Amino acid sequence: MEPILRSELLTPWEPGIFSLVLFAAVVLVLVGFLLFISAWLGEKSPNPDKLRPYESGIIPTGSARLRYPVPFFLVAIFFLIFDVEGAYIFSWAVACERIGWAGWMQMSFFIAVLLLGLVYIWQKGGLEWGPKKD
Amino acid sequence: MGSEKRLAALEPLFHPADAVINWARSRSLWPMFFGLSCCFVEEATVITARYDIARFGAEVFRPSPRQADLLIVSGTVFKKIAPVVLRLYEQMPEPKWVISMGSCSNTGGMYDVYSVVQGVNQILPVDVYIPGCPPRPEAVLQGLTMLQKKIDGQEAPTRRIFHLGGGSQGTETPVLVDGQTKSRDPRGPGMAGTAIRGTSATPAGFPDSRSDLMWTPEPHRITLGEREKSLAESLSERFGSAVKARPATSDMLTLDVDKDQVKPLLRYLKSESPVRFERLEDLTVIDESARRERPAYPDFSLVYHLLSFDPATRVRLKVPLYGDIPFTESVTDIWPSANWYEREAYDMFGVRFEGHPNLSRILMPSDWEGHPLRKSHPGRATDMAPYTRKDAAAKQPLDAGFYIQHPGEEELVLNVGPHHVSTHGLLRYIASLDGEIITQLKMEIGYHHRGAEKIGERQTWHQFIPYTDRVDYLAGAANNLPYVMSVEQLAGIRVPERAQCIRVLLSELFRLSNHLVFVGTFAHDLGAMTPTFYCFREREMILDIVELITGGRLHPSWFRIGGVAADLPAGWKEKVDEFVRIFPKKIDEYEALITKNPIIRARAVGVGRISLADAKEWGVSGPNLRACGLEWDLRKKFPYSGYENYDFDIPTATGGDCFDRYMVRVAEMRQSIDIIRQATANMPEGRCITDDYRYVVPKRADMLKDIESLIHHFVNVTRGPKIPRGEAYVSCEIPRGEQGYYTVSDGLGYAYRMRIRSPGFPNVQVLPMMAEGWSISDLIAIIGSVDYILPDIDR
Repeated sequence: MEPILRSELLTPWEPGIFSLVLFAAVVLVLVGFLLFISAWLGEKSPNPDKLRPYESGIIPTGSARLRYPVPFFLVAIFFLIFDVEGAYIFSWAVACERIGWAGWMQMSFFIAVLLLGLVYIWQKGGLEWGPKKD
Repeated sequence: MGSEKRLAALEPLFHPADAVINWARSRSLWPMFFGLSCCFVEEATVITARYDIARFGAEVFRPSPRQADLLIVSGTVFKKIAPVVLRLYEQMPEPKWVISMGSCSNTGGMYDVYSVVQGVNQILPVDVYIPGCPPRPEAVLQGLTMLQKKIDGQEAPTRRIFHLGGGSQGTETPVLVDGQTKSRDPRGPGMAGTAIRGTSATPAGFPDSRSDLMWTPEPHRITLGEREKSLAESLSERFGSAVKARPATSDMLTLDVDKDQVKPLLRYLKSESPVRFERLEDLTVIDESARRERPAYPDFSLVYHLLSFDPATRVRLKVPLYGDIPFTESVTDIWPSANWYEREAYDMFGVRFEGHPNLSRILMPSDWEGHPLRKSHPGRATDMAPYTRKDAAAKQPLDAGFYIQHPGEEELVLNVGPHHVSTHGLLRYIASLDGEIITQLKMEIGYHHRGAEKIGERQTWHQFIPYTDRVDYLAGAANNLPYVMSVEQLAGIRVPERAQCIRVLLSELFRLSNHLVFVGTFAHDLGAMTPTFYCFREREMILDIVELITGGRLHPSWFRIGGVAADLPAGWKEKVDEFVRIFPKKIDEYEALITKNPIIRARAVGVGRISLADAKEWGVSGPNLRACGLEWDLRKKFPYSGYENYDFDIPTATGGDCFDRYMVRVAEMRQSIDIIRQATANMPEGRCITDDYRYVVPKRADMLKDIESLIHHFVNVTRGPKIPRGEAYVSCEIPRGEQGYYTVSDGLGYAYRMRIRSPGFPNVQVLPMMAEGWSISDLIAIIGSVDYILPDIDR
């Protein structure tokens, strides 16, 4: 469709905020309508069994709101560290030509140290979680 | 009033709306597979390529009630599982429909037994009944289309949807009430005026059996080997009069042991005697109170069957027990596997075991009254009060806290099963989870207890054959074999060579069929969907052959005492040869998909390991034992049915982990193909059932020709052959391991005691040992690799 370039053909709508207000109103009405229609048409007939969590057909025991151990948090932390260090490498890459070979050497050293660190945590088993296979 | 009028004016608009809504609903049903037993296998087959239920818009089978609107109750509804069935139904969103699949779910079917609800319609409203035992997959499709028609033709959901009152949708048939809207009378309705068994004119029991008027030879007697004789001598030297070897036996060395000497004797036999009996093969009880020569027997007999691996031999110990509450010492400190066996003996017979760590009910619900296998306990459900919706709402499975009393700090207690997609049947695991690591794992079995042993005491020798098919419903005819062989052993019936060869052929076909389901579901448990479809494709080929030969699919009930039901039909050989030619390539295909798959290897190698020593100690058998490195296969060690004439290997592995259990089964498939090839090539000519018609069902042609056969046919089909008084234990290598039948006869047309030693019971008992310390996702891999089946565990 061709865009209408001749603005005099369109009714000037001042102030411009009107279009935003109208848009917001349409959104609200539509969302409200959808929510209402699904709530109204959707049949609800609650009973105690239906409201209970499904646990293979058995009434659950105890609470499920527990402090959940996150054994892979180390991996997440390592990712964060290496990710942040990645940012240094990007900034070096931007300035790579200006700082020349000296910068290149420094950065190579930096990456080598990082790699050593990665090898170290790998060796230490920092990247593994879950039960150990014997 | 005015609004009503306006609505009435709108009424014509509702009809097209109804039609559109019904069309949409009926073509997008989401079934929940509530697989209770055998029927579920056929239900699952409907999903696979040959039947393809997706064509009917019901593609999405869901394991959770939250995502389903059609409950297909497929299989036997047990009193222990009924509360769960009801809860799952309640947890489904509305509108919802119910299909009852199979005779058991419809009416209790052939299981008119204390543990089974006689029809799911006593606790749930049912829209469509699919008859059959089990119904074929096509029948499921028909049931689905019938439900679609019902939705299309009989429901008017529009008024309901717009909150206008009236209209109809979902299941609205009432729950049936015994005596009012349904009749549980085994003779059919309209007989209410006549008492079911016995009237004032005829006695309820028939103590005088006409079997007594018949003469039969003595039971079959074996001569013991030198080894057994010297063992018996050395035992009587060591234990004196407390241990007496029976002079005559039908199957193995049988010792009568005094109660106070049994434990030292067992300890001696296990670790000191010249022949080491390393496995407690079976432990069970016989209630002797209904013996016809009552004074000759104690009140109860406790029976131990022991097995020695090297040399391969068995021994039976019989311990007399007295009193209404008999007690004896527990042997759990000698064999840990005795734990469940003793609990079962307690549950079923009320025998107390002193020193048992946890003597509680195992198969029956915790609030059950009485001990079902006692002769005084009713056998039929129709002799007991009907199981109602009220019962299902009130009686609940025990809380998980009962099993795991001290979970660790911040640990989650989680029920996996009885209704769970990965438990392969009605088995309940209760896990205590530290994050995703299993710290404690307990199990509750008995949700699938079909009372097969009790039924064995009332059906005639021939009538019991169909029940044996259903003990391991994936092994079909292979199940018949240990049963018919135990009767043949006891009565000394010779089986013609051709019949033996047909038995081998069918047993091996079913081994393949079973292992195909294993391979498919094991891969599925590990997240691979494709192999299931491949395996079921070839499984259908096998079932086609089985159908050609026997006329049945899952449950052919094909073996007979003394042979098989009929000779092989024309064209069987071409079919089998074609299959034998194609199948090895298909195994390569599965291996390419699974064996070499790095994800499967990562999930299975090294996971769920069990050592050979533990496996022996706990009575593990079958491929699970061979995966630990022991070359032990009954087909080689105690050859039966002519297996000694076939050239095949026993595949083993050494690791005892999930992957090894899989590899052993794949290798076994190749061996089975070899055996089938040899059986078809060397099929002997001759009869397919023995011509000694004393105990067997004679061939129909003979029955119509001569009077002798006619009389035997009449007697053996109606009141059953008189099997001589005695006992025999025969065990066979069925696909899952060693299944044994301990048959006790009191000289009547039916067994006095029918004990089924199933491979699943001990194989599953070790599962916590394999799974503790592993993550919850590994549990699923371990469950899949152990390959158990519930009716075989709970019987």
